Amino acid sequence: MKILVINAGSSSVKYQLIDTETEKVMAKGMVSRIGMSEAVLTHKPHDGREVKVTGEILDHTIAIEYIVTVLMSENHGVIKDASEIDAVGHRVVHGGEQFAHSVLITPDLMTELRSLIELAPLHNPHNIRGIMACQKNLPNAPQVAVFDTAFHHEMPPHAYIYGIPYVLYKRYGIRRYGFHGMSHLYVTERGAQLLGKTSEELRMISCHLGNGASITAVDHGVSIDTSMGFTPLEGLLMGTRSGDLDPAIILHLMAREELTLHEANTLLNKHSGLAGISGVSSDMREIEQGAREKTGNAALALNVFCYRLKKYIAAYAAAMGGLDTVVFTAGVGENSPIVRAKTCEKLEFLGIHIDDEKNRTAKGDAIISTEDSPVKVLVIPTNEELVIARDTQRIVSEQK
Amino acid sequence: MPSTNIIIIGAGVMGQGLAEAVATSGEEVTLVDKTTKLAEKGVKGIGEAIDREIHKWGLTKSDKKAIMARIYPSSDLSQAEDASIIIECIPEYLETKRTLFEKLDSICDEKATLITNSGTLSISEIAAATERPQKVIGMHFLTPVTKVPLVEIVKGLKTDQHTFDKAVEFADLLNKQWITVNEYPGFVTTRCIVPLINEAMHVLMEGVASADDIDKAMKLGFGFNVGPLSLADMMGLDVVMSWMENLLSELSEHKYNPCPLLRKMVRAGRLGVKTGRGFFRYDEEGNRLPDTPLNHVVEGA
Repeated sequence: MKILVINAGSSSVKYQLIDTETEKVMAKGMVSRIGMSEAVLTHKPHDGREVKVTGEILDHTIAIEYIVTVLMSENHGVIKDASEIDAVGHRVVHGGEQFAHSVLITPDLMTELRSLIELAPLHNPHNIRGIMACQKNLPNAPQVAVFDTAFHHEMPPHAYIYGIPYVLYKRYGIRRYGFHGMSHLYVTERGAQLLGKTSEELRMISCHLGNGASITAVDHGVSIDTSMGFTPLEGLLMGTRSGDLDPAIILHLMAREELTLHEANTLLNKHSGLAGISGVSSDMREIEQGAREKTGNAALALNVFCYRLKKYIAAYAAAMGGLDTVVFTAGVGENSPIVRAKTCEKLEFLGIHIDDEKNRTAKGDAIISTEDSPVKVLVIPTNEELVIARDTQRIVSEQK
Repeated sequence: MPSTNIIIIGAGVMGQGLAEAVATSGEEVTLVDKTTKLAEKGVKGIGEAIDREIHKWGLTKSDKKAIMARIYPSSDLSQAEDASIIIECIPEYLETKRTLFEKLDSICDEKATLITNSGTLSISEIAAATERPQKVIGMHFLTPVTKVPLVEIVKGLKTDQHTFDKAVEFADLLNKQWITVNEYPGFVTTRCIVPLINEAMHVLMEGVASADDIDKAMKLGFGFNVGPLSLADMMGLDVVMSWMENLLSELSEHKYNPCPLLRKMVRAGRLGVKTGRGFFRYDEEGNRLPDTPLNHVVEGA
């Protein structure tokens, strides 16, 4: 089955066309600067060179039209006709409490998705726009929504309830939801496979360290706790997000600096994290360089990042009553031996022993712990698109 | 330069704020003024406003880049030919506005919505300068446009429902709450706030309390964000006086008589933040300086 995987943001749409029989990417790319007069489509067929197309792409519908056209184009295309696209799988950030699994998109479902906008005002509206754009351009292809939150759906109440009046949970759905579900699912399954096991046999911790970062305790295949909460702001230190902090700080700062809600929100989401502490960059590569060259507070930012991650690993080991595997993934997790080494330092008491050489040279799927380390430490490049494609294929097949 | 769907005429403070709000919403916008230099100065002003907002954590440098890339300065009114929304933000003189709308009438597409940002003038009188008064409507934004979540949508006598719907759509685009106003002098906001400011000046003039204490009382007592005298300084005392006079001449009620202290300060050129001195003192960036006792201000005037 050929599945078009769509990840629609505010001014961008990322896509991959995946053949689920071979699980190979036939083509992938991205439309950026949607709404601007010079939007760009970057497209790469699996066996060809990357091409760029510039045009007036005013909205998501036109963006999808461009994507379908380039997928069929004579020179850079990988299919002959739009009807070859068997189904479309969409990443939808927030599935609320309703969605424990991926679902086929129907008119009723669209209404339900709209009702979730309040929970994820920055993401869900764009995801919905992407769905509507595909409905217009590919009216015959069934569409499936795959949720970032679904993997965490079995988290127990003692992990998702916050210490505020319970009535607020009932009234507004204020609880921990967790995000990056597809990534945590993929890397724990793939990691277990690499060890010749299934994730149901293991107590695993997966560290998704990208520009947004979250860590999940996966106890015998089930997410039992995760660091992102009601929104993707909580938990680990991130590129520009604060992660955990004393909530009173926000109230204090709003009063001291006379900040509006919007300003306080931007402060925590865009001016904080690695960028805010270091004054150097939100990019871990530049933070590491800055730490070596003693620029700004780069070294401090790096330490805060790894220290907090270390605390979470130990806490989640306690939550599961032990630990078999730690997996690192996403931009920083896959590419920073320094972060991996610093994080695992002093965790020997948990049975985590890193092999420095393996850590330094890890590429692709890799085991970086020593032969005799009781806890296996892995690096697994994440593949959220593949999770979306697999789910989409499964759900569409069930319908037939 | 691409032709944009939304055109703003007048690159002063109001035009700048609106252009920033439109660009922030994701739409492209052309900011027109009499000369390219003035239009570019307006765009520069937007950049400076965004820098202040970055400093206050409200925006990031990449937000600035994206917002600025959507704003095109121009001195060419004929740009309005392809636009569907045209908003006028030029100074509050009826004749200048009427002349502009007459010109727009000859340039713009027949389906275009023509919006005036006037806070006090008659929409119907402005609309009468065109052959299509049903397409003209008032949208009174308050400064700073990007911060104040309200807009008054003002229907002229002949404004049709379709035009009103377009105005609502535009307000929604900018994420503003709106209220409907049937044309009448001062609409709602100006009509209610100006007498309050005037009364505060009387209280000050009669020596009942100091300027600071009057503002403090209204802020803490009634939950105003800004006290009435600070507000007057921010609006400009000359502007407040012109509103009073406008209301007085339109409605002929004694309560709209400008307070003698207001007249005195306007004559002395103590116009508020923009001149560095009104009821309080300000530095060049408009930040309030340590308190100046009322007597100094009045005696100095």
